[in-house]
Amino acid sequence: MSYSILIVDDSMPMRTVLKRSLAAAGYGSARIIEASNGNDALTVLAGDWVDLIVTDYNMPKMNGLSFLKEVKADELFKDIPVVVISTEGNDSKIEEFMNAGAAGYITKPFTPENLRDLIVSIIGEADYEEDIDDSDDDVDF
Amino acid sequence: MKKILMTAMTMSISEVMETMFFMPVEIGPETILKDSGIDLDSALACRLKFTGDVNGHINIISPQPLAAVLASNFLGESQDDLTMEQQFGTLSEMLNMVCGNALKKVKCREPYKLDIPENIAVSDLNRTSECTVIETMESNMAMVLSV
Repeated sequence: MSYSILIVDDSMPMRTVLKRSLAAAGYGSARIIEASNGNDALTVLAGDWVDLIVTDYNMPKMNGLSFLKEVKADELFKDIPVVVISTEGNDSKIEEFMNAGAAGYITKPFTPENLRDLIVSIIGEADYEEDIDDSDDDVDF
Repeated sequence: MKKILMTAMTMSISEVMETMFFMPVEIGPETILKDSGIDLDSALACRLKFTGDVNGHINIISPQPLAAVLASNFLGESQDDLTMEQQFGTLSEMLNMVCGNALKKVKCREPYKLDIPENIAVSDLNRTSECTVIETMESNMAMVLSV
């Protein structure tokens, strides 16, 4: 099964790193869709189904928490698991995200293994054989 | 308080540089920015403001060739193919990770909040600011903390 994953981050380099990390974590064949803030991500969701959302917290226009709340308040999107990535890893912030419906939380800096373990626990294993055969990218993260 | 914050920042940069940039660092001496050995006229600089028990900002200043190495390691792309946007973006993201990771280590009444990192012109920096030199195998960069 090939997943569709929406990456939401205002930092273009961070979106690139997340794509590489997902490939290194075994999700190289996933269809990756990118958005640079919560507003843009909601526009993407209005026209496209995704299996997982990976969102940054600290973004302009609409931050990750507001975006998460919008997703969870929408009948159509509320069941899509949302992983929040942030540099701010204090307990109260994590609790705030989990109470808002996040499926998981990961703090930067992270390794592809950290990301993989979290995503596998949420959406299950990727199809490794397919990923390895299809990926031409250097994924030695 | 400034010393506590700077200690947290230097601890954090070691962790971030190893995990995300595959580049071990040594914390060098504290000095004046213009004496840091960095060619400031061709350097890249980013700033991140934070608010909390103490308000302030941190700047990171990197020689352009080091920024290219960092971006290459971070993005997995050849240095020859990198744009300035990618180099600035990488430096901004590094600063974001360093600052966020550092501030969560500091005891505080209210959690710190981070602004969005911004690129700044080196000409906007005070060259007589105190800075901490960060030594890498490539060259040095500098962090300036203002509170």
